[in-house]
Amino acid sequence: MKKIIQNPLALGGLIIIVAVLFVAIFAPWLSPYDPNYIDITSILLPPSFSHLMGTDGLGRDVFSRMLYGSRISLLVGFVAVGIATLIGTFLGAIAGFYRGYIDSIIMRFVDIMLSIPTFFLILAVIAFLTPSIWNIMIVIGFTSWMGVTRLVRAEFLSLRNREYILAAEAMGASDFRLISKHLLPNSLTPIIVSSVLGIASAVLTESGLSFLGLGVQAPQSSWGNILTDGKEYIQFAWWLSLFPGLAILITVLGYNLLGEGLRDLLDPKNKNQKK
Amino acid sequence: MLNYLIKRLLWMIPMLIGISLISFFIMHLAPGDITASESAFNPKASEESRQKLRALYNLDKPLMTQYSLWLKRIVKLDFGNSFASHQRPVLWETKDAKGNISKGMIQDALPITLMINLIGLLIIFALSIFLGVVSAVNQNRWPDRLITIIVFIGFAVPGFWLALLLMYWTGVTHSWLPISGLHSAGFEKMGHFEQYIDLFKHLILPVSISCLGGLASISLYVRNGMLDVLQQDYITTARAKGLPENKIIYRHALRNTLLPLITIIGLSIPGLIGGSVIGESIFAISGMGKLFFDAVLMRDFPVVMGILTIGSVLTLFGNLIADIGYAWADPRIRRGISN
Amino acid sequence: MFSKYIFLLLFLFNLTSCSSKKETVYNYEGSFNIEKGGMLIDAMSGEPSNLISMIAGDSASSAISGNIFNKLIKYDKNLELAPELANKWIISDDQKTITFYLKRNLKWADGHPLTSNDVLFTWELVTDEKTRTPYGSDYKLVDKAEAPDPYTFRIHYKKAYAPALDSWASLQILPKHILKDEDINHTFFSRKPTGSSYYKLTQWINGEKLTLDANPSSVMGEPNINQLTSRFIPDTSSQFLELIADNIDLMNINPIQFARVIPSRPDLKNKLALYKELGNSYTYLGFNLKHKPFNDIKVRQAINYALDKQEIIDGVLLGLGEPVASPYKPGTRWSDKNLHPYPYDKNQALKLLREAGFDDLNHDGILEKDGKPFAFEILTNQNKQREMTAVLIQRRLKDIGIDVKIRVIEWASFVNQFIKTGDFDAVILGWSLSLDPDQYNIWHSSQQKPGQFNFIGYSNKEVDELLEEGRTELNSDKREKIYHAFSKILLKESPVIYLYAGYGLTAMNKRIKGIESPAPPAGIAYNSYEWFIPSTLRRNEIAP
Repeated sequence: MKKIIQNPLALGGLIIIVAVLFVAIFAPWLSPYDPNYIDITSILLPPSFSHLMGTDGLGRDVFSRMLYGSRISLLVGFVAVGIATLIGTFLGAIAGFYRGYIDSIIMRFVDIMLSIPTFFLILAVIAFLTPSIWNIMIVIGFTSWMGVTRLVRAEFLSLRNREYILAAEAMGASDFRLISKHLLPNSLTPIIVSSVLGIASAVLTESGLSFLGLGVQAPQSSWGNILTDGKEYIQFAWWLSLFPGLAILITVLGYNLLGEGLRDLLDPKNKNQKK
Repeated sequence: MLNYLIKRLLWMIPMLIGISLISFFIMHLAPGDITASESAFNPKASEESRQKLRALYNLDKPLMTQYSLWLKRIVKLDFGNSFASHQRPVLWETKDAKGNISKGMIQDALPITLMINLIGLLIIFALSIFLGVVSAVNQNRWPDRLITIIVFIGFAVPGFWLALLLMYWTGVTHSWLPISGLHSAGFEKMGHFEQYIDLFKHLILPVSISCLGGLASISLYVRNGMLDVLQQDYITTARAKGLPENKIIYRHALRNTLLPLITIIGLSIPGLIGGSVIGESIFAISGMGKLFFDAVLMRDFPVVMGILTIGSVLTLFGNLIADIGYAWADPRIRRGISN
Repeated sequence: MFSKYIFLLLFLFNLTSCSSKKETVYNYEGSFNIEKGGMLIDAMSGEPSNLISMIAGDSASSAISGNIFNKLIKYDKNLELAPELANKWIISDDQKTITFYLKRNLKWADGHPLTSNDVLFTWELVTDEKTRTPYGSDYKLVDKAEAPDPYTFRIHYKKAYAPALDSWASLQILPKHILKDEDINHTFFSRKPTGSSYYKLTQWINGEKLTLDANPSSVMGEPNINQLTSRFIPDTSSQFLELIADNIDLMNINPIQFARVIPSRPDLKNKLALYKELGNSYTYLGFNLKHKPFNDIKVRQAINYALDKQEIIDGVLLGLGEPVASPYKPGTRWSDKNLHPYPYDKNQALKLLREAGFDDLNHDGILEKDGKPFAFEILTNQNKQREMTAVLIQRRLKDIGIDVKIRVIEWASFVNQFIKTGDFDAVILGWSLSLDPDQYNIWHSSQQKPGQFNFIGYSNKEVDELLEEGRTELNSDKREKIYHAFSKILLKESPVIYLYAGYGLTAMNKRIKGIESPAPPAGIAYNSYEWFIPSTLRRNEIAP
């Protein structure tokens, strides 16, 4: 923790993330209006004291929608990455632990998944499942685990022949115990780093899907669909696209900075070069 | 080396079948087919006619039959024609009896996407190497931090939003650059040189937007790789010998840092031919991304399968070439493989 | 590198101030003489797929092929049938035979004469089993077609078929001398057509644009504008940027652009003319009549009373739409002026629901019947206006104690998983306001099989009889009575709730002159061949 504070970029990222989380958690208390309250007498009002970020095409308060949207956007990020990390770690651990045949098959499967464009998988599966926020999380999760698998496998391969592992194995530790007690805890660093970076990507993916009309659907608000609604009026109702655009930018930036900072800090190679 | 190559090539066969199976079934699991497109929801179009169309396209047959029919044709490198009413060939041009040439859909779209992405990749690499080296040399000082923040902003900004802002600013407010498309209205009447300038102007925005996302990962990769190398013994030795710092960085360190980048080139091949739906829609460029997206929404199966097959073949070859290239460049691995 | 971001910041700053810009000043006002020449550029979201319209199904294709091919007859600016290739047409007394008399000296663009043989050939094509057309069924009702001489085309129906004339007003006539030995499904003609109308195709660059030039031997006379270019720009935001940068001359815009964006910007108002015309479709909330409680007419009427249609029009369309009370275009003879939409009346809605057995016994704000709360799901496809409509409906129904969920689904899935299987409670969709009043396919009780269009399961004996009668009656006055009676039952029974018919909104650069405003019932495009571009307003860079 101390080390994070010493790294200004990581610290900045952390502050951003905490602030966004705060906003998301306390959205109901912070919102001045019901995010779905329609007032067709006040359509497309520019920002003012009564509507901090203006109103949208149905007269809804953009500020309140942004606050509630942060919940959806972050939820999509967390759950999707959670799914990807679980799948990725599981397959990577098995491949790296058992090696041989199992490893070959899993890694070829990873190669197959990597050579089918992620976007196609997302699109086809969403078309099949119909877009809802849970399906979007599942789909993003199921199409972004391959990187984690490779990382975990590589980590396991390098740890597998360490003396303490071999010793534990010789003492009759079960495979499950070896993996969960010895190998996994020592591979946490890359998993954590890639999860933090993964959240950033998932938030961006959601906004891209919204652009294509396949993201979180109305009347629920997410940053992605507020931004997409606003893009038609970019030169007129600028508040409709500026705020969600900046929110996505800042949040993704925060996760990236924190992720990179963590990578630097947790990387053993960096320890001995501290000046 | 030869054994390794043969083994890799043999592995590609089951992988290709796997890819085509997965794609085929995902595609057909999604509900609907070409006869259900929006325009067919017209009371003047009868259900009997739609059933007739379905039979013509073999869409009424069981999935396994459809797959084996498709596989049989693909082995002969026949990618078929689009199901859409224009019936254009999926891959390559065909000529009819009167000598009219129908251009292939992939034949039209792939060069455009390749052009944009290759230029983009070159720029990404050039910029990333520069930024990465500057970052590494100034580790943890302000230029390093600034560069990190900038490349991350590039990654974090929603591309279509920035694209629209830039289009408005450069195209409408100032009329510096064209807004969308690849050619101006009078392109055919321009001289050669003017045509290049025209194309160049049209490419500036799409290429810049396509670069933004990739800059962060590669420049950080170069930075971290560079930091690793700078700690190696031979660099310390070089320093001890009193070689000038510039020479150490560019001659010795950079060269070793760049080696792993070859793998990254291999891995970026799917992105090179995949194109981006969002970018292509915004800029009205008819590349692979848009072609693919439309085909998926229309359930135009031959086009979807054609693009996926071509895409995965190129990707697998790309990976193979990258691995071989890497082995070629790194003597340690070269020996490892031949053993 | 960094400067880019400074640019960006500057730009954001710039946006808010909306700085006006330099431009060659054109004077668009004043009177201009009609001149030939010039080029008009428009934008299309999709690329046409096939210029043989009986095979293509997309609107982009028909927009282009309509400029290239002629029909026997057409709808004029008041949506009455008028001559096109045919001078006149005569309906026999038993209403089973129609004879078309073609104009003299008609020519294809290649100089070959156009005769009734071409018409016969086109009919043979569209009814051929091998032709991949979804539109053949209307023409298959023709028992016998003949071309006794080059200027006469005669068709016999087994039984009088009222929508026949409408079907002949939509069939584009194809040249026999070019297509007689071709496979219509694969012919290159679909990308290199030879027609007889105002324009001929000169260039088609895949994925980029398509250019039409005036056809000097057009059977309808030469159009004023020399060249039409359609650029394919998928994203409407990009299209709008091109429009305000003067790179395209016209596009369809949305209500916010029409009512807010353009009027608020003097520079845009100065160069763009805005046109609105009643569109060709209406949006409705349709119930699955086989599901409870929508089988109860009182429930449907209650929901109809509970919805404020004017609010939806104001909110979703910014007032740029009209309420409808029948499935016919307001202002045409088929639309009954004496029918009015259900007024917004919350108390009446509650009263009807109580009569239907719904009451809020547990005081949770949601009505129940037999212990079950009144909750249902509205499905719609990915269409911004329909989504917004759903949100407004959700709010209004909540007011009277009905819990509504909204689900938005991609089109192909929507049709196949929900519409065809009948697995839905309620949908928001649109139907076209057809020019012929026959709506047998949509409302007749026999049309409920999967894939047919009465998917809401509407079945009413009286309506069935009226629809059958209307199909065999060619006399317009008698038909009017039939369809007014039909509309009345439909409105009373509320199997669907008519929400609105939106206006088609067009923004056009003011250099295009000769447009009729306000738009006639057929819309502004009916006389696009008479539009012209004064040479003083032509732009150098794109002069032909």
